[in-house]
Amino acid sequence: MSTITCALLLIGIFAYVFWPEHRVEAQTQKTRLDFLRERKDVIYDNLRDLNFEYRAGKYPEEDYQAQRAALENEAAETIAEIELLERQGLTHSPKLSS
Amino acid sequence: MPTLGSFALLLALALSGYNLVAGAIALRQLATGARGRVSPERLAETARRAGIGSFIAVTAAAFALVWAAFTNDFSVAYILHHSNRALPTSYKFAALWSGQEGSLLLWAWLLTGYGFLLRLRHKVDVKLTAYASTILAGIQVFFLLLLNFAAPPFSLVSGTIPQDGFGLNPLLQYPEMVIHPPMLYLGYFGFSVPFAFALGALMMRYPGEKWIHITRRWTMVTWLFLTCGIFLGAHWAYSVLGWGGYWGWDPVENASLMPWLTGTAFLHSVMMQEKRGMMKHWNVWLIFSTFALSILGTLLTRSGLVSSVHAFAQSSIGSWFWAFLVIVLAVCLFTYVLQRDHLKSEHKLESLVSRESSFLFNNLVLLAACFTILWGTLFPVISEYVQGNKVTVGPPFYNRVAVPIGLFLLFLTGIGPLLAWRSSSFKSIRKNFILPVVAAFVTAIVLIATGMRPWQDSGAFYSLVAWSLAAMVTVAVGSEFLRGARVIQRHTGQNLFASTIQLTRRNTRRYGGYIVHFGVVVIFIGLAGSAFNQSKEQELNYKQSMTMGPYRIECLDYSQDSNPNYDTEYALLDVYRSGKKITQLAPEKRFYQASQTTSTIVANHSTLAWDLYVIYAGKDPDNGQPIIKVFLNPLVAWIWIGVIIVVLGTFVALIPNMSAALAASRSRVQVAEAPVLAATKGGN
Repeated sequence: MSTITCALLLIGIFAYVFWPEHRVEAQTQKTRLDFLRERKDVIYDNLRDLNFEYRAGKYPEEDYQAQRAALENEAAETIAEIELLERQGLTHSPKLSS
Repeated sequence: MPTLGSFALLLALALSGYNLVAGAIALRQLATGARGRVSPERLAETARRAGIGSFIAVTAAAFALVWAAFTNDFSVAYILHHSNRALPTSYKFAALWSGQEGSLLLWAWLLTGYGFLLRLRHKVDVKLTAYASTILAGIQVFFLLLLNFAAPPFSLVSGTIPQDGFGLNPLLQYPEMVIHPPMLYLGYFGFSVPFAFALGALMMRYPGEKWIHITRRWTMVTWLFLTCGIFLGAHWAYSVLGWGGYWGWDPVENASLMPWLTGTAFLHSVMMQEKRGMMKHWNVWLIFSTFALSILGTLLTRSGLVSSVHAFAQSSIGSWFWAFLVIVLAVCLFTYVLQRDHLKSEHKLESLVSRESSFLFNNLVLLAACFTILWGTLFPVISEYVQGNKVTVGPPFYNRVAVPIGLFLLFLTGIGPLLAWRSSSFKSIRKNFILPVVAAFVTAIVLIATGMRPWQDSGAFYSLVAWSLAAMVTVAVGSEFLRGARVIQRHTGQNLFASTIQLTRRNTRRYGGYIVHFGVVVIFIGLAGSAFNQSKEQELNYKQSMTMGPYRIECLDYSQDSNPNYDTEYALLDVYRSGKKITQLAPEKRFYQASQTTSTIVANHSTLAWDLYVIYAGKDPDNGQPIIKVFLNPLVAWIWIGVIIVVLGTFVALIPNMSAALAASRSRVQVAEAPVLAATKGGN
């Protein structure tokens, strides 16, 4: 009984592992553009949080304005780079700068 | 069944080995562009499936061992040594992790289980998951090598097979022990997933912080398991060991606390990487250290390197773990040195008074606590190596260092959320801190006015500080909820309670985190009570009584009982308060026939104010009089309530955010997108 169970386990797993699969997921390399788009979303999230906390009365006006300006500049730089890369058609560039 | 178990473990090792080798070859081919007879994508897919197959094989092995326990198959040496016919059903499950081989099998099962989930969810990022899967396969290979060659759980008994087993360790025959070890192991090995992702992301120079986003829930769930495991262990020690406490700074307790401390630091500091692209080097080393400390914890528990009341399964496999630990650290260090330029921060710390600096302090303090505990735990080993004699450091050492560190952490828990990112102005600090600070001072004054004398002893001083800080953090957390809820209330017109719920659902991670912080505050309230513990030991015969605090305990009877698993001797005690009987307690002393050992079962009357904790210490050998030991432990119930709040808060943090509320959507357009787009269109 044990031998039969062992054989069934072996055959079942072997078939599962090596069964020919034609729809294999491609392993794409993430591009700088993908990274910038993620970064843009994060900066927008940070802006939303800042705005919410300001409305909640957590920051004085001058602190809020300074932080908002810094985040908006960061977002503007990111969007400018995204637009530049999109114009250059580098959407699938494997070259990454860290 | 033993044949199936042994075969399944061998098959799992082969599959994990294939996953490691084929996965590594495929990733190498993809990185270099080289092509073999089989396409690298196809090869990587077979590797992933082999990883899934390894989980099925280890499941079969675990099933075979549990089956052997339930069918009393004493031909298997492990079952003979850790079970017996009279053992209750739930404890037959516990037999799976009560010994060396069984607990290693449970670890392998949990590890391959985590790998199974990771490999099933590979579409979140196919390439990064392929790296993580290959790294996890390497860890699996180590555990399966151990199980196949160093500690096989299916070894057979030679000669005549005994009719009954030697039974389960009595200390393990307690309800918490059925779930405490699996929780702890889920915590230990859960960190292998974020570790694998972090190492994989570094190896492939993964751009951005999405790997943190992918592993965020893994890390939180793992942290939750470890937290529950630690506190279930504390509750078990409190209820079974019978010394009146829940934490004794035992090396095995310390072993579980160290990865928890670094894991907690990691959970906080990754937020800086996600939000501001900072502390990348630090985070990578935090998760490497957390995983390494999990392995070190395992090593301490299993090797007999340090003596402990919890080290139930000691053996000579310590050298295997040392070798594995060295390999893990070498791989981490090599990868880090090779790829460290990839971890450049996007921003610098702009001010010492900012959310970032509070996270940094939080991390430094958590690491200082971890290092202190590591030093204290390893000191007997180091002193023996250097001086030739073993010097053990006890609870006074840990308490002297850990209590101030814990209080400073509590302070940071309160101030962190009140500080702004980047920098906080004096005006902002004054605006946000005034109420919490007033709350702290009012609490301190009230406590002193009601009789606390912090200048008389350090215990009272620390308790006063803890309760004052608890008030400060509670007000800080409460004001965060209140201010946010009022904004929602202004926009939606809902009542404050509905607004608070909506606020929490808008940002579950943040507000779930605040609930966790509040849970930590409640735990600290309970811990601070220990400064006022009282105890008394007395011979107590029939109809005699003793007093402890507001309670009078009267002995009603002593009796004996027996069942197939154990014989028991117990005292029946009536408890009175203000002349009125409030409960009856029955502390026990049990004798387990199979293992020929005794254990204590504590009787505890727990209220929010005190635990009346009673032990039947047996009979005086000189005069045959029964001895009762009583502890009055203030506020202990708050520790367990705090843990429940921490669990609830973590669950809230795990729930995905609801779609942005109307107000948030408006603010996104008004505050974020419009000026940003204007700036970019304007040629910024």
